[in-house]
Amino acid sequence: MASEGLSYDGCNFFRQRLVLSTLSGKRVKIKNIRSKEDDPGLREFEASFIRLLDKVTNGSRIEINQTGTVLFYQPGLLYGGSVEHECNPQRSIGYYLEALLMLGAFMKTPLKATLRGVTNDRTDPTVDLLKSTALPLMKKFGIDGEGFELKVVKRGMAPGGGGEVVFTCPVRRTIRPIQLTDPGKIKRIRGVAYSARVSPQMANRIVDSARGILNQFLPDIYIYTDHMKGANSGKSPGFGLTLVAETLNGCFLSAEMTSTPQGQGDPVLPEDLGRNCAKLLLEEVHRGGCVDSTNQSLALLLMTLGQQDVSKVLLGPLSPYTIEFLRHIRDFFQIMFKIEVQKPLEDERKGGDKVLLTGVGVGYSNINKTLK
Amino acid sequence: MDGKVRKPKQHQQKHSGPQAEKKKLKKHGASTETDERKRNPKAFAVQSAVRMAKTFHRAQDIKAKKHHIPLVDRTPLEPPPIVVVVVGPPKVGKSTLVRCLIKNFTRQKLGEISGPVTIVSGKKRRLTFMECNNDINTMIDLAKVADLVLMLIDASFGFEMETFEFLNICQVHGFPRIMGVLTHLDSFKNNKTLRKTKKNLKHRFWTEVYQGAKLFYLSGMVYGEYQTQEVKNLGRFISVMKFRPLVWQTSHPYVLVDRMEDLTDPEKVRIDPKCDRTASLYGYLRGTHLKNKGQIHIPGVGDFQVKDVNFLPDPCPLPDAQKKRALNEKEHAVYIDLPASHVNQLQAEMQPTTELVQSLIDTHATLDAKMAASKVSLFSGSATLDPTDIKQALWDPKTQRERRKVLFAEEMKDDDEEDDEDEEEESEGGDEGESSGEDDLSEEEDNEEDCLSAFLKKSRGDSVKASGPPVKKSKVEAESERPVFADSEDELEMSEHESEGKDQPLGAGDSGHCSEDESDEESEDESEEGCLMSNTVTKQKEEEEDEDEEGRTPCFILFVSTGALKWKENLQLKASQAFLRQQESAPNLRKLVYGSVVEVEDDEDEEELGGLFRVSRPQNNKRFQANDLDSSHFHPDTTHNWDLEEMLNSIRDCFVTGKWEEGQDAATLLKEDEELYGDFEDLETGEVQKGQAIDDDGDNEVEQSEVKMDEEESRKNKRLEKKRRLKERFNAEYDDGDATYFDDLKEELQKQAELNRAEFEDVDDETRVQYEGFRPGMYVRLEISSLPCEFVTSFDPHYPIILGGLGSSEGNVGYLQMRLKKHRWHDRILKTRDPLILSLGWRRFQTIPLYHIEDHNGRHRLLKYTPLHMHCGASIWGPITPQGTGFLALQSLTGIKPNFRIAATGVVLDLDKSVTVVKKLKLIGYPYKIFKNTSFIKGMFNTVLEVAKFEGASVRTVSGIRGQIKKALSTPPGAYRATFEDRLLMSDIVFLRSWFPVAVPQLYNPVTSLLLPIGQKDSWSGMRTLGQLKHDLGIRYKPNSDSLYKPITRAPRRFNKLHIPKELQKALPFKNKPKQQQPKGKTSRDLQRPSVIREPHERKVAALLQALSTVHNYNRKKTHMVQHSKHKEFLKEKGKQEDAKLKRQKEARKKLYRVMGQMDQKKQRSSLKGAPQDD
Repeated sequence: MASEGLSYDGCNFFRQRLVLSTLSGKRVKIKNIRSKEDDPGLREFEASFIRLLDKVTNGSRIEINQTGTVLFYQPGLLYGGSVEHECNPQRSIGYYLEALLMLGAFMKTPLKATLRGVTNDRTDPTVDLLKSTALPLMKKFGIDGEGFELKVVKRGMAPGGGGEVVFTCPVRRTIRPIQLTDPGKIKRIRGVAYSARVSPQMANRIVDSARGILNQFLPDIYIYTDHMKGANSGKSPGFGLTLVAETLNGCFLSAEMTSTPQGQGDPVLPEDLGRNCAKLLLEEVHRGGCVDSTNQSLALLLMTLGQQDVSKVLLGPLSPYTIEFLRHIRDFFQIMFKIEVQKPLEDERKGGDKVLLTGVGVGYSNINKTLK
Repeated sequence: MDGKVRKPKQHQQKHSGPQAEKKKLKKHGASTETDERKRNPKAFAVQSAVRMAKTFHRAQDIKAKKHHIPLVDRTPLEPPPIVVVVVGPPKVGKSTLVRCLIKNFTRQKLGEISGPVTIVSGKKRRLTFMECNNDINTMIDLAKVADLVLMLIDASFGFEMETFEFLNICQVHGFPRIMGVLTHLDSFKNNKTLRKTKKNLKHRFWTEVYQGAKLFYLSGMVYGEYQTQEVKNLGRFISVMKFRPLVWQTSHPYVLVDRMEDLTDPEKVRIDPKCDRTASLYGYLRGTHLKNKGQIHIPGVGDFQVKDVNFLPDPCPLPDAQKKRALNEKEHAVYIDLPASHVNQLQAEMQPTTELVQSLIDTHATLDAKMAASKVSLFSGSATLDPTDIKQALWDPKTQRERRKVLFAEEMKDDDEEDDEDEEEESEGGDEGESSGEDDLSEEEDNEEDCLSAFLKKSRGDSVKASGPPVKKSKVEAESERPVFADSEDELEMSEHESEGKDQPLGAGDSGHCSEDESDEESEDESEEGCLMSNTVTKQKEEEEDEDEEGRTPCFILFVSTGALKWKENLQLKASQAFLRQQESAPNLRKLVYGSVVEVEDDEDEEELGGLFRVSRPQNNKRFQANDLDSSHFHPDTTHNWDLEEMLNSIRDCFVTGKWEEGQDAATLLKEDEELYGDFEDLETGEVQKGQAIDDDGDNEVEQSEVKMDEEESRKNKRLEKKRRLKERFNAEYDDGDATYFDDLKEELQKQAELNRAEFEDVDDETRVQYEGFRPGMYVRLEISSLPCEFVTSFDPHYPIILGGLGSSEGNVGYLQMRLKKHRWHDRILKTRDPLILSLGWRRFQTIPLYHIEDHNGRHRLLKYTPLHMHCGASIWGPITPQGTGFLALQSLTGIKPNFRIAATGVVLDLDKSVTVVKKLKLIGYPYKIFKNTSFIKGMFNTVLEVAKFEGASVRTVSGIRGQIKKALSTPPGAYRATFEDRLLMSDIVFLRSWFPVAVPQLYNPVTSLLLPIGQKDSWSGMRTLGQLKHDLGIRYKPNSDSLYKPITRAPRRFNKLHIPKELQKALPFKNKPKQQQPKGKTSRDLQRPSVIREPHERKVAALLQALSTVHNYNRKKTHMVQHSKHKEFLKEKGKQEDAKLKRQKEARKKLYRVMGQMDQKKQRSSLKGAPQDD
């Protein structure tokens, strides 16, 4: 009766697999999770992720073997509702939040997730970045309205954590197709320079150095400084910068950089950080596209889950994560995207090659939502 | 009035006066106003604001009511044939009608038809006819796929249950178009009864379907067929009918199978006749896009994973879009196929069709690269066919292909001709299988040529059927012993299973490989040099089996790590190859993403330690490290150096400060505006305001004077032109002011529909299928493995096989909550936990529902039975189906019962993995010690722990005293202290009302009616209901004697004597004082009367007196009776007289009154007239 499951090796792209499995209802088995390493099996943060998934679903079956090297996941129905989760500080909240962004709109009841842990670190997209890029992207797919927001209540830097984020997402029955083929020109750059448990001056130093680079292109730059104090500043000191470039057509490109966590590696000067982050943003602009590199997979997922209509999106070069995501989409939904490379014209100065992805939605409709 | 006829008075036209003026004005067209509003503005003026508002409101309401939610039009350009299902009770003329319709469209007579028949009915329409037998399974299945239902009704009998059952099934599963057809009308002798019956039936039909639904009359039979003209009319109706999309059908792909082939290895079947079968099923894809390797449900069989899907050339194509007004009647192609579906007389005729399709399959399957060519040749071949030929040729194009003959014993009874073909084809197959590698191409080409030649030959008009297949001239090698279908099919599969990485050529569609090898090579080289799309560090090796004949396997690197400034070094190189790259990168990227991922064999890097343990080392050479960090961040390792000016310049145009495109540049836009708005003439003053651009002519004043006139002219023209443009723009902006949200939405969806159509239009089907799935209208072949053997062995073409595609997660099972209502015509209510057969989505299954109803506080309370005429909730364990899907329920599928079989209908409301149905549980306890308001209660719980769980719960006594559980007592176990709002009595019983969650039994039992032996397919029986079980086993219910109803016997009530205290008695007034009612004492002896004892004489006298008085009494009674009757008669007579008298009097009075009235009138009249003249 039940559909045949899929089987994968290794813990990479762990979230993708579980998320797609949940959405498609296909069982998944992941084998050889760090089986050859000294410390085999699932890590704490992955276990925490599974726990979060268990919280938002109803009736999922998760089986993990003794050593934690094999995971079997049979998805239940997405339930949503009010969820509180203590995210493991090995990874930042972005790690967990990315999955919730993908699942949020397909729940039975609107999701209100309170996630606690590290809000900003170097490995994952920070909550500030997701707030300023992923949310506007999802709005283009028709996921918006009153209860759609991401609020950073407390900031917590790696490694201690102690931050808190509230993500609320309304429920949708169907997703709109999109045609994002023209990003338009960048009209303004905004950003947040945050600092916690360090001198508030740090943020200002970051802003100055970042502006120094970006002002060559655009005068409309405003970088907010966000200095959290007291209980809202988490457990560890740190600072960082998130930059977002907004185009005329409402596309957002972003870059970010965070200081190295306390006691891990060389400390970073705020000036360097600001400069490097600005350069990262330029790099992102060079890559271009309508969706920035972090959210490519989110955009592709929502295109896949749309009605049976053609969606188009122009992306920068595909990141390895996205490439794997495309493969996974094919595995779970039997959908392939038409991939066309758009070369820049001779006299055009708009960065590198772009990729135009065209796909047809699978006609997914939210089967969790209650009919009244 | 004399004899002459009086002429009517002629109209006198007025020649003067206001009327004449008006008329004159009208005639001469002075007021050309045709608009009533303008001609008579007063009539249209606002009389009342409220009324105006009301009318406006109403008009808007009516307008809004017309709107439907607009949907994206997703109908394919070449739609699949329309499924026409012919339904009706037995012996009503279904088969005859199908035969007649086919004959009407194709001028061909078919014998007995036992499967779907597809015909071309017009230039843009094909029809698939399917007859529906009276098995309720078939009725349910066909109602789900039908586009049009021809509902046959025996007029001489009237409606039968089957008709209504089918209508109800349709209502539940989306209402297809239904057309009623009345037959057996010739059995009416009387014309009047005929008319009356027609009318009655029509109106009853209308109430079921909709008012004004079409009902057709087939009057009588001529030589066992319906009258040609009537059938023709019916056919015309069918071929112009419009259909509306049904929700379930448009959201799910489905195939009504018209052909089945068993692909199981015959050897395997021989060894184990009960082994699971692999079969390929063919049919037109309908509904929506079908994804490869998706999940499907075959109603009556079960759920299966599709092993493979291919599309095939259409066996019954629409006639080409030639400029013809009507179809040549011979162009109405017919496609029938279900093996063993035709009786002998037709077998010879039908069989070759199979081969046509078969041949197409094979050409398609053998080599993808040759697909295009093969298609062309085939199509051209079929196109060249003479219309006169098609009739025969369609039945019999013998191509030289091997056939995958089904070799199970039942169907071995093929006739000789077929065997011959088989042999030939087998030999073909053999040599195809042999020829591999380099021979393949040429071989194929040869085949193509032969195909073509064969077709051409046929088109020359020889009767091909009789002649053998053309002799094959190409290298026919020795016959091989390989299994018949081992060759082409396998390759096909390989091309699909791309990740296998065997020595098989990759399919063109899979990886974006072009068929040319050279270009491939180049592209690979390219990708080695420049980091193609992303500058990733990860060194990814991708091993690919090349398409080369030699089968060499070059490794190439797709992602190359480049040094920090490497991009600078090969800048020039890159630039020079930019063009080349442009050509190659697209397929390369596609290959990169979707290409085969060859799993590198685990390098044997495990060394043994002491022969017992193995040292395992983390691998780091695998492509996309399987255990790498899982992060969506795209950290480019080799960032560009953003300190360089040229790098900065390369992205300058991405900002608003950069250079703009021609169309959007601010400068050009401004200029345009200038031109548009630049100069204008102030119409009031006649002054011309001049724009700068044109006005800039200071220095050539001299010439200006000369050409002033010309310039004036041209300027005027220009101005006019500009004005016109301005006006246009204004109109465009403001004219569609009433464009509402609805219109916008509609337009948007229209745009989306166009995009959907246009996007993949020019992509070849092979690739297109991968992007959007197989689109409806394609003729597809689905291969399904692990089918139960009964599916093949007890295959009956009369029963439809439907492949219903399932959406994501529709293949799972879970709890469903539904709204259910017992059908009004079902004669008994349904019991909770009695198994029920549901038809939901594609499926038919048996499950155990729990009925419940929602209380006002949202609690789902379990019901023992469904309400009689009300909706209730039902929770089942069953397949996940989207909300809003309708279902129907049956109690059994077997046997023919006279009553209505559909037990209930409803809709899915909610899906959940847990249920929240509760049932009321009353815990009972008894007080054993009562204080004032506190009581000790025992008998409700057994342990202290149980009590602890219910601390604070509210309890109640039967008499309605409310209370609360306070605390457990140590002894006796389970006793507790409770407080009440009043003192209890020892006789009180204490209740605790609680709700106990009920588990839904997890029974999901798909109805496997198609697997039953032929002839018994309607005898599926699953779990029996409780009532059935009891009936079958002869168990009688033994009721609890306490529960039985008994006549109520009440003991007579006894009251104590009223006792009034002495004090009170004294105070009472005498009236109310209790009287001293002493019992009377004994009567004294002297007061008692002695009894009289008569003497014998006295006794005689008394007896005589007694007798005499009796006689006297009798006589008196008799006389009285006579008297009485006499009196009665007298009264009657008197009454009569009285009546007559009254009548007389009445008449007299009437007369009198009349006279008086007349006099009155006269008097009045005279008084009105004034002075009396006559008087």
